[in-house]
Amino acid sequence: MDACATATHPLQVDAGPMAPAVAPPRPGSHLLAAAHAAGRRVAPLWPLKHFVAVNPFLGLTALDFVQAAESMARTAGARMTMPRSFYADAIASGRIADADLAAALADAGPARGIPADIAGLKAAAISGTEPTLPLLPTVADVASAAMGVDWAGLARDRISGWAAGYFDEGQAAWASAWRDLPPYAAWRAEMTVDRTPEVMGLANVRRIAKDLPLTAEEAIIESVAALGLDGPALDAWFHRLLMTIGGWASFARYRVWQSELYGASDTALTELLAVRLGWEVVILRALAGNIAVAAAWAAARDEIAARREPDPALAVDAILQSAFERAWQREFFTALRTGGTASASPRSAVQAAFCIDVRSEVFRRAFESVAPEVETIGFAGFFGFPIEYVPLGQTRGGAQCPVLLAPRFTVCESLDTDDAEEARQLGLRIARRRAGKAWKAFKTAAVSSFGFVETMGWRYAGKLATDAFGLTRTVPHPSEEGIDAATQRRLAPRIAAREVGGRATGFSDSDKLDMAEAVLKAMSMRQGFARLVLLAGHGSTTVNNPHATALDCGACGGHTGEANARVAAAILNDPHVRTGLAQRGIGVPCDTVFLGCLHDTTTDKVTIFDEDAVPSSHAPDLARLKGWLQAAGRRARAERAALLDIAPGAGVDAEVARRSRDWSQVRPEWGLAGCAAFIAAPRERTRGCDLGGRAFLHSYDWRQDEGFKVLELIMTAPMVVASWISLQYYGATVDNRVFGSGNKVLHNVVGRLGVLEGSGGDLRVGLPLQSVHDGTRFVHEPLRLSVVIEAPTAAIDAVIARHETVRQLVENGWLHLFALSGEPPVIQRYMRSLQWQQT
Amino acid sequence: MPPWIASLALVAPTAVLAVALLSIVQPGLRPRLVLASSRVATLAAVAVAIAATLVVLRYGALTGPLIGVAGIGISVRLDALSAVMFLLVSFIGVIVVRFSGNYLDGDGRQGAFVGGLCLTLAAVTLMVLAGNLAQLILAWIATSLALHRLLVFYRERQVATVAARKKFVTARLGDACLVGAAVLLTYGFGTTDIAAILAQARALAGGAVPDGVPAAALLIATAALLKSAQFPAHGWLPEVIETPTPVSALLHAGIINAGGFLVIRFADVMLLSPPSLHLLALVGGFTALFGGVVMLTQSSVKISLAWSTIAQMGFMLLQCGLGAFSLAVLHIVAHSLYKAHAFLSSGSVVDIARAAWVARPEARPPARHLLLGLVLAFALYAGIGCLFGVIVQEAPAVLALGAILILGLTLLIAQSMEGGSDIRVVARTLAAAGGATVAHFVLQHGAAWLLSPALPPIPPPGPAGLLIMALAVTSFAAVTLLQIMAPAAAGSPAWRATRVHLANGLYANAVFDRVVGALKRRAAAPL
Repeated sequence: MDACATATHPLQVDAGPMAPAVAPPRPGSHLLAAAHAAGRRVAPLWPLKHFVAVNPFLGLTALDFVQAAESMARTAGARMTMPRSFYADAIASGRIADADLAAALADAGPARGIPADIAGLKAAAISGTEPTLPLLPTVADVASAAMGVDWAGLARDRISGWAAGYFDEGQAAWASAWRDLPPYAAWRAEMTVDRTPEVMGLANVRRIAKDLPLTAEEAIIESVAALGLDGPALDAWFHRLLMTIGGWASFARYRVWQSELYGASDTALTELLAVRLGWEVVILRALAGNIAVAAAWAAARDEIAARREPDPALAVDAILQSAFERAWQREFFTALRTGGTASASPRSAVQAAFCIDVRSEVFRRAFESVAPEVETIGFAGFFGFPIEYVPLGQTRGGAQCPVLLAPRFTVCESLDTDDAEEARQLGLRIARRRAGKAWKAFKTAAVSSFGFVETMGWRYAGKLATDAFGLTRTVPHPSEEGIDAATQRRLAPRIAAREVGGRATGFSDSDKLDMAEAVLKAMSMRQGFARLVLLAGHGSTTVNNPHATALDCGACGGHTGEANARVAAAILNDPHVRTGLAQRGIGVPCDTVFLGCLHDTTTDKVTIFDEDAVPSSHAPDLARLKGWLQAAGRRARAERAALLDIAPGAGVDAEVARRSRDWSQVRPEWGLAGCAAFIAAPRERTRGCDLGGRAFLHSYDWRQDEGFKVLELIMTAPMVVASWISLQYYGATVDNRVFGSGNKVLHNVVGRLGVLEGSGGDLRVGLPLQSVHDGTRFVHEPLRLSVVIEAPTAAIDAVIARHETVRQLVENGWLHLFALSGEPPVIQRYMRSLQWQQT
Repeated sequence: MPPWIASLALVAPTAVLAVALLSIVQPGLRPRLVLASSRVATLAAVAVAIAATLVVLRYGALTGPLIGVAGIGISVRLDALSAVMFLLVSFIGVIVVRFSGNYLDGDGRQGAFVGGLCLTLAAVTLMVLAGNLAQLILAWIATSLALHRLLVFYRERQVATVAARKKFVTARLGDACLVGAAVLLTYGFGTTDIAAILAQARALAGGAVPDGVPAAALLIATAALLKSAQFPAHGWLPEVIETPTPVSALLHAGIINAGGFLVIRFADVMLLSPPSLHLLALVGGFTALFGGVVMLTQSSVKISLAWSTIAQMGFMLLQCGLGAFSLAVLHIVAHSLYKAHAFLSSGSVVDIARAAWVARPEARPPARHLLLGLVLAFALYAGIGCLFGVIVQEAPAVLALGAILILGLTLLIAQSMEGGSDIRVVARTLAAAGGATVAHFVLQHGAAWLLSPALPPIPPPGPAGLLIMALAVTSFAAVTLLQIMAPAAAGSPAWRATRVHLANGLYANAVFDRVVGALKRRAAAPL
């Protein structure tokens, strides 16, 4: 067991090298520590079932941005900024002004290789010479170069093929052998049988594999010796090895992350490193007779051990990127300074809380403009309820909360009627699914598939036609599978506490009250409640889209926010909770009704749930609200149509709906593309500003925040998650090969968990190119997040000082931080080391 | 009905070809004109295909006049077989062209892509409509070359290039076989007109066969095996998913079955050479089982689908080898529709995974469930067969293929009883099994009736034929049993090793990779 693997809790997003917790020191423990440290540099990859945005540089945030760029260049050949020509164009077009260049240059400070002035910086941009850093060599690399045979590609493809079988979550009916063993041992066993490497020209691989150690830890220690390596620099080299199979390493990192979140441990990542090291040994031994390879590897060993001076060219890249961001911030601040209107009426007709997601900004603006008497609020779309939501008929559900958290409550989907009816529907669903499973076996088994095709293939003539014209869905939506539509509409989360299958589900009375209080405080809502308060989670509507869940709510862990919003609304409507809240100083008027809603970000329709629970006294309010929501939806769709290449006019609504049902649509919506800013302030600061769907808006009033507890929460959770999203898009834009998943038209879902681009190669991470690029330009501009918080700088400083995660993000250049204050607004920029500068 | 009416069918490939030409003018990003015209042209092709089918149904088969000289040129053969294939290809054309309109939106070469699809569609259409050998060969080769361009649509993708190279080598071998067969047929029958050759061949049945015709049949069988990715020439097919999804849909639904089409087109000739049919049955039957089992081991959806195609093509060629040509046509059509949908909807597996409630079927049905399943499946087959009043007079080949359906239904019924019998599950499954059996008989007789003018009846099998049938049924039964028993044996070392060998397709593709220097080429690729 790797003792180090348990040491870090994922909430502590610290990925730097760890002091090994192994005592007493044993031979090779420094190697295991290096292996562990290398693994921590890899960002996790969530499976497609609940794909969430991840900061692809998560493991590198302990490093400065430029150092991280160097690390990624040396281990993955990655770029962390755009090509120089991009900045040259922005300078030429006047978008980047001289002042931006001067400021960025001043921030960086003078150093070797950094241009002394703006002219020098411009020349560096125009020269178009891209920095080229050599990759850290591997045995596979040097053997490939020496022989002109792509052994590196063979190693990558064979590991990827093995990993796909080993980690497969249900594609192959005949599962990979040796899944009962840990990954490395399973791989080794397969290598002793697989003849492919020998057919491809590597002699005696099966025999060589038999001589490999039996466990991953031994393998790491012995492989390093066998390769003739030693010394302190091995964590970087291990990182390089992991990045040759970066996608699978990311998936293994996810497994480790999940285990640690629940207090367990997982060695998958170290095991994967041992596998890749095993290939190094296999290649070296199989080609032992080749003098050129041996000589090349001897030279490469020196290169691995050598210390390198940082390449100033990467620092120049970073300065240009900063200048580009400053240019954007200039325009953004102008908008921010000129906008802002206070709410007109003392009591709004409707309060509507939406997720902080940038797509909400468009809808909120549209909503406010069709109904000025409405007040909108921004809050993380799980509404503070970290739940595991168990669908009807299943025993486990998805974690509907930010991936930084483990769910605290289990909530079951249930029928609103009596238990007998629920049991009947449950039985029916299970029966349908079991019959469906038998039918699927008939469809796919080795011999019966012939009978299936012959007798049932003709039915696909109709299915092809109706799917092609958007009349049917390729497969039922997961939430509707095995259940009829009328029953499905009646399903709702069950709030009441109950034990199901030995697990406590629902909420006790005290949990309800505590959660209600925490949520309202976090939303800065203590008084002034409207008659109707919408809690709108969000989800997307797409068909045949492997990355569908990437468009759902990240704060709900890659699920739609429906369940969370309904749970929150139900609890806040509970009369006992209301009484309890009043005792704790939060007076929610009797005539306030909370509504659980879902904002469909693809179609901009808002669905209101549990309408029957709304008292008849509120019927006129509800009717008026629905009218507003429809009008707001039309307005939001019209705004989004421009980017979707839909002609403006009456046809927009129908076209948007058509796209959401189109099985061939690769851009049903633009997701969070364009995201650039995070604003934590009262809505009055931004109301009336057109932020173009590019800002995460978190409602926050520091005057109500006792002890700045809410500020601390915002800076450690929503701000961190927003930076993850922004960096996910950033990575997919600057280097889609390494930080993105490539071309969607080639995607091939593997193991039901991720995608390959085409038939082989590594598992792909991140967003497809189509999600950031429209064919002519990047729709997502690569900008590190600009965070604007309305709070005293001293309070912000205190949070930075207390939280290493936050400190790394702001100090190491992973986001820009600003403090907003006063009227007219004053914006201060956070420099390094708790220093602020007026903008 | 004057024969020249048949030539009007050429409107369809011409319209589609016109789009391909238009794409030269508009090869790039968002080619509005190409997209709009591709939709119109493919829909027009479907309309023409429907009209052609109605003509055949009403007036019978006809061959349009030859536009060309010395038996070489363009002539349209319209009969039940070509009409069915014409309809199928046109329909698939509408779907893939429409799909590509949005799917490749934003691609800098979308116009060229849609143009390439249309060129391929036109070539396939000319092939299935071919009235003479020269047209058949040229369209056959043109299909392959047009497809090749689509397979290397992203030229920078090394894997795509290597896979296309393997496909290219296999296809050229197939071309050589086809050309050889055509020369021998022309020499043997003294004409290039396909209808005339078939008529002569049918008249010869049981009599003296002209020199060279058995060799021609053998070459046709070989060309078909190469074209339809049969063992050991199957390796390229799983790899060419390196191309945008609509190409895979078109390839698997409209092109890969060209091998089967060729054999069925020359069914009358094939019947003159029982050894050629035996070759098809043996290689096809083996590939069906091999592909079907390898498919089970694959972890990625598209590669799994490609192996399924290899298997289904094997089964279809087995049907040809048993002389059940109308069933083979039925299989081609059914498989094309199924597989086109499976590829185009392959992104939906994540939805299926999200709805999954049990990880995987690991449990093994007890023997009594298997036996009960077998009895019920047989009872369904026999009972429904008797209702159709046909079972006793069926040819042995049809019964052998029926036995394979029974094996499948056994698995289905046994699966439904797994994990405690719920009467609702069993009832649903039995109803589905009954539906499948009814469909089996209806489709089989429908196909036989529809295609009877164009295709010879199933010949009575010789001793070798009976042996092959017995071999097929027993080996298919053995694999069914193995699959059901697999979970129990999965832990044994031999079984694990077998899985590794099978998951690698018995290394046939690795050998092919070595031969074409797959790794050499890729060494230049960026890391």
